[in-house]
Amino acid sequence: MSNIAKRDEAGVTRYRPATDILERENGFYVYMDLPGVRREDLIIDLEEDELTITGRTSLNLGENEHFVEMQFGDCEYVRTISITDMVDRERIKANLDGGVLELHLPKVEKEQPKRISITAG
Amino acid sequence: MVIDFNTLYNFPSRFDRVFEDFLRSPAGESRRMAYPPLNLSNDEENIYVRAEVPGVSIEDVDLTLTDKTLVLRGERKTTDEKFFRQERQCGVFHRVVNIGIPVQRDKVSASMVNGILTVTLPKSEDVKPRNISIEVG
Repeated sequence: MSNIAKRDEAGVTRYRPATDILERENGFYVYMDLPGVRREDLIIDLEEDELTITGRTSLNLGENEHFVEMQFGDCEYVRTISITDMVDRERIKANLDGGVLELHLPKVEKEQPKRISITAG
Repeated sequence: MVIDFNTLYNFPSRFDRVFEDFLRSPAGESRRMAYPPLNLSNDEENIYVRAEVPGVSIEDVDLTLTDKTLVLRGERKTTDEKFFRQERQCGVFHRVVNIGIPVQRDKVSASMVNGILTVTLPKSEDVKPRNISIEVG
């Protein structure tokens, strides 16, 4: 799959960040690799069924630094995830730690079927 | 299908594949080759080795400095759970960086910020550029 989605006008490479999606008892969990993205440079938008994550890296290199080898640089991460009606939109939680974004998408709580006991008259 | 996380329907990326060859950057190319991707740079004082290791804490990274190399070792762990999609690389990683010039071994430091590991290796005093003033007779 394509990791490089597009390159914008400023010349910053745009990546689709590697993402894990898994299901646990209390909902869905999304893990996204966003190395170098600070919390203030991360935007998460929920629009109808689409959750869009946008993050920019700022490596803040020193002024007199000379590169011998460069395998990663400033870039923009963009990824859109479609979510179903099973997800409780009001309770989505996001946490960015150590370059990994964790999203918790809890399921909508359904009313448990209740059995009505019948008393003999 | 109960849940749709765009797993099967991935139309835009088909276009991307067509253009990928034109847009491919050297950074993206080497990203595929080795994990983790490394940046190697230096200024007058230090040599810097940076690596993208999101989700790895500094305690889980093992750094070894020998005479001419810096070895980065660590592991990204995974779980046995119900994955809808699993793209993040996991497993043991091991990269060897050749350090061509002598460094002050006891002053090497490492830090981890937002998933980027930075190892700072101060250059030895005798390889730093020095200005020699010449007296004109």
